[in-house]
Amino acid sequence: MDSVKKFRAFYIEHKDKFFAYLMRMTGDYHLAGDIMQESFTRYLERYGADNQSAALLYTIGRNVFFDNRRRQKRNTPLQEDQPDCAQDQEYDLWVREEYRQVLTALQKLDEGERDLLALVVSSGLAYREIAKMVGISEANLKVKVHRSRTRLRQILQAGDL
Amino acid sequence: MKDYMISMFIDDELSLDEKIDFVEAVHSDMTFKDETVDLLHQEKLIRSEVVARVPGVAIQAKRKFAYALLRPLGLFASGLAAAAIILFFTVDPPARRTVPYRFVIYQPDVDRAEITGSFTGWDAIPMKPKGTSGYWEIILELPDGEHRFGYILEGRRRMADPTIPTREKDDFGGENSILEVHV
Repeated sequence: MDSVKKFRAFYIEHKDKFFAYLMRMTGDYHLAGDIMQESFTRYLERYGADNQSAALLYTIGRNVFFDNRRRQKRNTPLQEDQPDCAQDQEYDLWVREEYRQVLTALQKLDEGERDLLALVVSSGLAYREIAKMVGISEANLKVKVHRSRTRLRQILQAGDL
Repeated sequence: MKDYMISMFIDDELSLDEKIDFVEAVHSDMTFKDETVDLLHQEKLIRSEVVARVPGVAIQAKRKFAYALLRPLGLFASGLAAAAIILFFTVDPPARRTVPYRFVIYQPDVDRAEITGSFTGWDAIPMKPKGTSGYWEIILELPDGEHRFGYILEGRRRMADPTIPTREKDDFGGENSILEVHV
């Protein structure tokens, strides 16, 4: 079996959850698609098809996301940081209407809060693996994940979305 | 009881001893119980499906030369990259990596058949009838990767390709076929 074929099974297994993670992180359908393309390509190029790890995929996805955020901030200092979802035609077409309020609320979290919550709800990885990925202790992760959830609840309850 | 135990409960991270403490706290502390139930309802919402369609990814073992060089410019430099590629192509256009793919459906009772898909930008492209056989066909150049498509009959009725078993529901109550192309 060639590497692309072997990798395809890994891609099919993870693409939906991974894309959902990127949507929760970016709130932008087009950007999430670009990051997904770049992440899977980078994964296959650097680590090959034999070493299949969800934790590694999400690590690459986070790196691509944060690289982009840094570039975006550097290159477009006068623009707003948050993507304008209303401008994204694909967003209007494919993002489920029932989920749009949640995405808007998620974008109102601090980036660090959103990062942890998106990883926990999307990846299926254990706290131990996520703590290692983001470089904090597991004890600290527990507290931060819960803080993100309660903060999201405040945003949703405030209803100013 | 620490509040963050609620998140650990939601995320299946409690040990057996912690589960005992948690259940006792839920029974003895109504505020704690209410907060747990609230966050469980919220969790159902957060974990529900985000999109009706996940875009496909073109998987390739080696990145194309031009793309590898341009990658450090970043995703947001794609406009600049595209301009550079166009300029490059006008000097020495390389062969595009696509493959011709023939789509055929048997619909003897319709006057019009079209195809729409991720490779047409979801525009409807007319198919040609094969004489009076009832077959409609079109040949399109497809790039490597996973593509979604469907047929439109008489300008209003959508159908997936009956010869391709891999399908997914679209946002309008219909189905699209999923086609993998390897160039």
